[in-house]
Amino acid sequence: MMKAGPSQEDVRRHNLGTLLRFVHLRGPASRATLAESLGLNRSTIMALTTDLTAAGLVREELPRGPGRRAGRPSLVVRPESTRVYVLAFEVGVDRFAVARVGLGGVVLDRREGVRTRDSDPAELLSVLVAGARSLIRKADGDAVCVGAAVGFPGTVRRADDMIMFGPNLDVGDLRLGDALSRRLGLGIPVSVCNDANLGALAEHERGAGVSCDNLIYLHGDVGVGGGIIAHGRLLGGDEGYGGEIGHMIINPGGRLCACGAKGCLEAEVGERALLHHAGREEDPGQAGRDAVRDIVVSADAGDIVSREALHRVGSWLGLGVANLVNVFNPGMIVFGGTLRDIYLGAAAPIRSVLANGALASSREKVKLRTAALRDDTTLVGAAEFAFAEVLADPVQVLARLRAPEDTPV
Amino acid sequence: MSVTPALDLRGIGKSFGPVKVLDDVSFSAYPGEITALVGDNGAGKSTLVNCIGGVHPPDSGEYRFEGRRVRVHSPRDASLLGIEIVHQDLALCENLDIVQNLFLGREQRNGLTLDEDMMEEIARTTLSGLAVRTLGSARRPISTLSGGQRQIVAIARAVLLDNKVVILDEPTAALGIAQSQQILEVVRRLADKGLAVVLISHNINDVFAVSDRIAALYLGRMVAQVRTADVTHRQVVELITRGTGGEVGLRR
Repeated sequence: MMKAGPSQEDVRRHNLGTLLRFVHLRGPASRATLAESLGLNRSTIMALTTDLTAAGLVREELPRGPGRRAGRPSLVVRPESTRVYVLAFEVGVDRFAVARVGLGGVVLDRREGVRTRDSDPAELLSVLVAGARSLIRKADGDAVCVGAAVGFPGTVRRADDMIMFGPNLDVGDLRLGDALSRRLGLGIPVSVCNDANLGALAEHERGAGVSCDNLIYLHGDVGVGGGIIAHGRLLGGDEGYGGEIGHMIINPGGRLCACGAKGCLEAEVGERALLHHAGREEDPGQAGRDAVRDIVVSADAGDIVSREALHRVGSWLGLGVANLVNVFNPGMIVFGGTLRDIYLGAAAPIRSVLANGALASSREKVKLRTAALRDDTTLVGAAEFAFAEVLADPVQVLARLRAPEDTPV
Repeated sequence: MSVTPALDLRGIGKSFGPVKVLDDVSFSAYPGEITALVGDNGAGKSTLVNCIGGVHPPDSGEYRFEGRRVRVHSPRDASLLGIEIVHQDLALCENLDIVQNLFLGREQRNGLTLDEDMMEEIARTTLSGLAVRTLGSARRPISTLSGGQRQIVAIARAVLLDNKVVILDEPTAALGIAQSQQILEVVRRLADKGLAVVLISHNINDVFAVSDRIAALYLGRMVAQVRTADVTHRQVVELITRGTGGEVGLRR
C-alpha cells in the first residue's frame, strides 16, 4: 500500500510523543514553554495535554514557587510519575539492582543485593523476580507498568534479545528477558540490553552528555564496556553487538582476556589487571568496585605500588581513548563505573598518552567527563529504554495496557 | 572562531618594595573553561590572584574584563565586575547556617524584613544546580559540616549571584580522596555552566582531570599558557620546576 505522507493521526501521535518526551526528559513545563520549545501553537498544546491528561500520563497544575509574572499564569504540565512507571533491572557481576522508575525519570523505589560470582543463573532470575514483585506491590493501586528492561554485562543480539556472550557472567542458554516477562506476568515484554550501551543512552539523555550528540561512554566493572552515541543515536552495528570497546586490542600479545584474545582494553585496564599490578589479586576478599576504589585511595595516600598500578592502567586507558578519539571524533568521552575512579585517579597518564597519541584536530575539543549519574548509569539507561515504547505512542500504549482491568468481569 | 576571554591580563608587574614578585605576566581565562594556574611555592600564584581580586593592584600592565579595559583597585571593584575568589580558608561563619552564609553581606530583603523564604529557595536551587545532595538541610549550621561540605558551600557562595569568573585556591588541598573527587566534579560543572574558572592546584593529576588550559608560573614569569590536550605530565612538571618543558616554556 502506498502512503502519500503522514496522516493526521500520525501527526497527532508524533506530537503527543514529542510533548510527553519533553516533560519526561526536561521536567515539568508550562504550556507557554511547551508551545515555544516544540514550535506548536497554544491551542494544539492544549489539545495534546488534554489527551495526555485523559490517558493519565500528565497532569496540569498552577505554577508554584517564586518568579510569578503578571497576567493569568500558564498551567504547568507535569508527568504522572507515580501512576506511570517502568521496571529497570541492572545485572552486574557482583551485584544486582531493580528499580521502579516513574515517568519523568524519578527513581521511586529500589531493591539491591549482592551476587556471588559463580552462582546459578536460576538463582539470579529468582532474586530479580522477587525484587520486582516487591516493588510492584508497593506501587499505587492505579499505577501502571509500561515497560521493563535489563542491563546486562555481555553482548546481546538485537533481533531477539538473546545473550550471546558474557565472559564475566555466564547465564548459559537462559533467555533472561523472556523468562522474566513470563514470571512477572505483567503482559509486557522485558528487553535485555548491553549495560554500557544503556549507560551511554543514560548519560546522553540525563547525564553529562545532554547537549552532546557524539558521545562515547566507557563503563568499568570487572570488565570494560562501551557505548557509542553517533548523531544522537546508539551505534549498534549490524546485529546490535557494536560498541564493545573493551575488546579493542591495544597491546598485542599482552594480558590474556576473558574473551580468549590477548591485550584487549579490558584485559589491560579491567579490575583484574589493576588488582594484579597492585599485588592484590591473591586476596580473596578483594574484588569488585570497592577493591578498585581502595587502590585509588591508597594511591592518594602515597602508596607507591598502588600509584604505579594506576599509572600503568591509566596509560593503557589513554591509548584506548586516543584510538577512539581518532576513529570517532567524539565531542565527549564519559567515564563511568569504576572507570570514574580510575579516570580521576590517573588523569595525568591518561591525558599524557592522549596528547601524544591522538590527532591534534580531534583531541583539541574532546571533553573528558565523569558520569553525572554516578553508579546509576545502567539503571537509568534501562529505564529510558523501557520508556521508549510509551513515548513513541503514548495514548495507544496506555489504552492497551489498561484495557484488561477495565473489561467488566 | 575566537572567543573573548572573560579575564585577560597583559604585562602585569608587581613589586613589594625591592622585592619583584611578578614580571610581565600575561594570563587569560575563558568562559566555559577551567584554567589551571600552576607553579612552585613562591612562583607568584597567590600574588597574581591578589592582583586579579584587587587585593594588591598591579604596578603595571593591562587588566581587561570581557574585552574592556578596567581598573581594579579593591576587592569591591573585582566583586562588582563579577569576579569571586574562594580562598583556602573559605571565610565561612561557623555559627551561621548554610543559607545565612551564602547570603552574608548581600541578604535579600522583602521591604524591611529579610526574605528568608526567597533566600532558602535560591540556596536550594543553587546547590541542586551543582548536583549536591549530600548537604541535607540548607538550614544546617556550618559547624556541623565536613571539610568537603564546607568547600561546596564556599563554591556555592561564589556562584550564587551572577558571577563571571570564579577563582579557587587549592580547593582539594585539605580533603580526603572521595571529597576531592566530588569537588573536582563540582568545579567541572561550574565551567560547563559557562563560568570562567581559575583553579590553583599543586596536584598535577587534579589539573589533568578537569582543566582545559594550564598556565604555568615560574619565578614570577608566565612561562607557558597551553591547552591541557596538548601537553604531557612530564612537560607540566618541567614547566613548574625548570620553567621549560619540551617545546613550550622559556627559551634558553
